[in-house]
Amino acid sequence: MRSSINRPPTPDANEEPEKEPTLQEIINIKLIESGEKEKLMELLRERLIECGWRDEMKAICRAYARKKGRNNVTVDDLVHVVTPKGRASVPDSVKAELLQRIRSFLTSAAI
Amino acid sequence: MSVSNDGNSSPRSQLASRCFEDLLDSIIVDVASECHRIARLGLDRNLEEEEEELRLSVQARVADPSSSSEANSKNVVDIFGQTHPAIADEIFECMNCGRPIVAGRFAPHLEKCMGKGRKARKVTRSSTIARTRHSRGSPVSVYAPYSNATNSNRAPNGTTGGSGEEYADYTYGVP
Repeated sequence: MRSSINRPPTPDANEEPEKEPTLQEIINIKLIESGEKEKLMELLRERLIECGWRDEMKAICRAYARKKGRNNVTVDDLVHVVTPKGRASVPDSVKAELLQRIRSFLTSAAI
Repeated sequence: MSVSNDGNSSPRSQLASRCFEDLLDSIIVDVASECHRIARLGLDRNLEEEEEELRLSVQARVADPSSSSEANSKNVVDIFGQTHPAIADEIFECMNCGRPIVAGRFAPHLEKCMGKGRKARKVTRSSTIARTRHSRGSPVSVYAPYSNATNSNRAPNGTTGGSGEEYADYTYGVP
């Protein structure tokens, strides 16, 4: 039996088959390239500081550090401690404002 | 184009939500990282103070195991780790008469100096009348020999005019 002459080309180390970028990734790239991501981050940060969310999270971290001993905490620990409470306690108005802006960006970017 | 605001189920809203969560996660990591830094570098005074207090209280207890602080005032250690002599020995100038006074003896000195005591009253009577008549409305002076509670409360307000003119007359004109 003859080996097939239509052997698929040997995959080259440099030429890995590129994955289709997901829609999410495309959006992310567009956000970053247009500078909109930076603006949205700044806006969200500002709103969260204004409404005291940041101080709440810092207090949670401080309490945790006190309990655990301040030299025994890791960034990972703190992220895990803060994330559930943090996600839940964003005020609705802040979330709505940000979602509105993101949606209008998506519209303008014709996605 | 169809309206995208039809609730959370539309793909655009889902995308928007995911973007938002992305942003929020970044900010959460920011906060966590900053708090971690503060904790590890000991920048949070409160965290440090608690450890300090624990250590100092143990230290103070070790330094003075026998008696309570009141009984043995010479050897007591305060929260900063300092000891104090029984009688304060710093010397400064009395602001009334200008004499150098030992701090621990200041109160009795003031009694005589400002004329609160029975004997001192007679001495200062004439001189205070003369002084207050001279310096009307001086913010410092209520050299009233009868130390009435109201006097000492009104003096710092700088009552001008009828402040201590006639010391027997207690109807001070309210400014």
